[in-house]
Amino acid sequence: MFDNYRDVDERYVTDTTLVDVEGLHFSLGENDIFRGVDLRIPKGKITAVMGPSGTGKTTLLKLIGGQLVPDAGRICIDGQDVHRLPRRALFRLRRRMGMLFQSGALFSDLSVFENVAFPLRVHTDLPEAMVRDIVLMKLQAVGLRGARNLSPAELSGGMARRVALARAVALDPELVLYDEPFVGQDPISMGVLVQLIKTVNQALGLTAVIVSHDIKETLSIADYVYIIADGQVMAHGTPQTLDVNRDARVKQFVHGEPDGPVPFHYPAPEFYRDILSTKGERT
Amino acid sequence: MIRYIASLGRGTLEALSALGRAAMFLAQSAVGVPSREGWHLWLRQMHFIGVMSLAIVLVSGLFIGMVLGLQGYTILVGFGAEDALGQMVALSLLRELAPVVAALLFAGRAGSALTAEIGLMKATEQLTSMEMIGIDPLRRIVAPRLWAGFISMPLLTVGFSVVGIWGGYLVGVQWLGVFDGSYWSNMQSSVAFVDDILNGMLKSVVFGLVVTWIAVFQGYDLIPTSEGISRATTRTVVYSSLAVLGLDFVLTALMFGELG
Repeated sequence: MFDNYRDVDERYVTDTTLVDVEGLHFSLGENDIFRGVDLRIPKGKITAVMGPSGTGKTTLLKLIGGQLVPDAGRICIDGQDVHRLPRRALFRLRRRMGMLFQSGALFSDLSVFENVAFPLRVHTDLPEAMVRDIVLMKLQAVGLRGARNLSPAELSGGMARRVALARAVALDPELVLYDEPFVGQDPISMGVLVQLIKTVNQALGLTAVIVSHDIKETLSIADYVYIIADGQVMAHGTPQTLDVNRDARVKQFVHGEPDGPVPFHYPAPEFYRDILSTKGERT
Repeated sequence: MIRYIASLGRGTLEALSALGRAAMFLAQSAVGVPSREGWHLWLRQMHFIGVMSLAIVLVSGLFIGMVLGLQGYTILVGFGAEDALGQMVALSLLRELAPVVAALLFAGRAGSALTAEIGLMKATEQLTSMEMIGIDPLRRIVAPRLWAGFISMPLLTVGFSVVGIWGGYLVGVQWLGVFDGSYWSNMQSSVAFVDDILNGMLKSVVFGLVVTWIAVFQGYDLIPTSEGISRATTRTVVYSSLAVLGLDFVLTALMFGELG
């Protein structure tokens, strides 16, 4: 199971938790993104991380993937502290993860087929015929088997995300991180995607972390939900418990109310003063 | 005054930290030597960086050789020394012009393209997604480009010199009437293999390393926006050109300094 036993901190190995985030602090420049976040991502479940735009949800995925380093706190995956691993061990750990990027992030010099085949070619010695079968199965699952010879430039945003999903699960990873999987999908592929994430999770026993603010879709498949705001975990629980949560901020977010304790506007001086001001904007 | 000193200090710290990042970057990517599996990646970059730069380098070499032939002739003929034209053309090209001009052209053609390509990969999260797939982009993306640059640069310099010498021959011998026996024999007797040819090649190896290093590092380290890419591309050309010209003086002083 483990690639390197020496990297494993036994205190953080449990049967039920795959990712353990403890006391996470992170800032970008002068902006504090996280101020002491604690999360536990259970094995084999779908965990959603939600919150208003700009709360650092994507940053959290990048911290879990080891692409960013926290200022304080630790993130353990299967007992291995991601940010203390040597470069090679970190890359070995990442082979057990799949990540779906918001932009798709397909390799622009490879076709759709080659993009999905890429992880298989670099990490396995499978014969070409088997690589072909696996790639076609993954593309069939996302409904794009017919698009295998297209280049990424010929795909729409939603199609690119579906190809990226096929690539993210090509190696059947233990942990899949989904960054805004539902943005820009038409209603048909949205339904298919929701179903797909659920099925993949159940059939292969994968652990999934979904970062999203599509509340309805995410809550329909998530087993557990964390809501992050102001750099901290505002609430957590099952979708059912959050639905009846009485905290005003949670209610505002879960029910999509425009007005409430979470401000819609970025901090600014009073509107009428700004409008009446004669000061030019040029700096 | 205090503010000026503080900004100077901040600038120095930023420059030192960038230098440190660049050195780490070079150390981590240069270990990705072309391997059997990575052969096709390296070959593709050799084609893009080396073969595709051939046209601009050879055409420039031809023109520079022709100009050298013309200028050299008009100066030497005043002393009745036009027979030394071959030696003048060959030494100027082999020692200085071929490595330096080929490196400047290389920075403009291949260096800027490398920065823009890697920068766009970064902006579209292709490098990040490669990292998440468990592939080190330093080995997969940067190393083949780095090695292709190291190897292409000396070869392009050889091409530049050969075509330049031929350009000098075209103008000096074919057009202006210098005796072709003296053009070639003077060149043969005055050009030393180690002092002139090898030293010139050594320069081109150093320039190849520096230009490719600057280009790939600027691409990898840029701010992933359209403005960031445009600035990094400009920086590649400016820094590479300055580095080539500055290093040329240092190398020339080390190689030929004692002759004076």
